[in-house]
Amino acid sequence: MTARGTASRFLTSVLHNGLGRYVQQLQRLSFSLSRDAPSSRGAREFVEREVADFARRNPGVVIYVNPRPCCVPRVVAEYLNGAVREESLNCKSVEEIATLMQKLADQSGLDVIRIRKPFHTDSPSIQGQWHPFTNKPTALGGLRPREVQNPAPTERPA
Amino acid sequence: MAALWVAGVARKSLTVASGAPRREFWSRFRKEKQPMEAETVEEVKKEPVLVCPPLRSQAYIPPEDLQSRLESHVKEVFGSSVPTSWQEISLEDVQMKFSFLARLADDLGHAVPNSRLHQMCRVRDVLDFYTVPVQVRSKFDELIASNLPPNLKITWDY
Repeated sequence: MTARGTASRFLTSVLHNGLGRYVQQLQRLSFSLSRDAPSSRGAREFVEREVADFARRNPGVVIYVNPRPCCVPRVVAEYLNGAVREESLNCKSVEEIATLMQKLADQSGLDVIRIRKPFHTDSPSIQGQWHPFTNKPTALGGLRPREVQNPAPTERPA
Repeated sequence: MAALWVAGVARKSLTVASGAPRREFWSRFRKEKQPMEAETVEEVKKEPVLVCPPLRSQAYIPPEDLQSRLESHVKEVFGSSVPTSWQEISLEDVQMKFSFLARLADDLGHAVPNSRLHQMCRVRDVLDFYTVPVQVRSKFDELIASNLPPNLKITWDY
C-alpha cells in the first residue's frame, strides 16, 4: 500500500524521554521455547549462554524464560507505554536472536510505522510565527484597505 | 444389529481387561472359586522377585590419583618397560588399546563412548578424556544453580 493508505505518526518520544534522564522503555521479555524441538535450538542456546549477560546489562527489564512444549519459539516484549510486540524466534541462530533482543531493548513502545517528519520541536517559533499583519502599523478605528494614513495637505491655505 | 455389535465390543473389552467380570456375568456358582484362584495366583507370583537393579548414575568425578592410576595401567598393558614419556605411547595396536581402555573403564567406572574411540590415539588423549568430569543434572538445574541476576526468572513447564 502507499504511504497514504498505511498508518503514520510524527516523531515523538514517550514523555520526553531523554530530555532529562533516559529510562529504558522495555519492561518485560517473555521467552517461550521448547526443550526438544529443533526449531528452538537457537533459542535454547541463547538461554544457556547469553540471556544471563543480557539480563545483567539491562537491569530494568524483567526476563521470564518458560520452556514448554511448543512448535514455534516466541518472545513477547512489553513496553512502559503498554505496547506489546511479539517476535518469532523460529530457526534463528544465537547471533540473530542476540541482535533482535538488543533491538527490542533499544526501542520505545511506539508503533513501527512511517514517521512523517524526521524532526519535531515543541517550540517551532520563538518570536512568533509571521503573518501578513506583523510589522504593519495599527490605527485607531482601523484602516480600510488602500486608505492612505495621512492625506496630502492640498487644501491647506498657504 | 447395532445393539449386538455394541454388546460384542463391550464383552471383548471386558475380557481383555480381566477375567473376573466375565465370570460374574456368566455363572454365579463360580464366585466361590474366584478368591481361591486369586490367592494361588498371587502366591505363585510372589516367589520370583524381579526387581530392577538401580540404574548406575552417569556421573563421573576424576579421582586425584588419576595420573598414577593411568601409569600403572599403562605398565600392566604395555609391559613394565615404559619410557618416562608414557603419555606419548600410541594406541595403534587394537588389542592393547582395547585391554587398556577396558581396564580403565573397570577401574574408574566411566567408559570412553564409541563415538570418541577414534580420537584416542595416544595415552595423552585418554588422560585428557578422563580429566573431564561428567555431571548428570539437566540444563535447567544447572541454570538454576548458577547465580542468576534478580531480574531473570526461569520456570519449567515440563
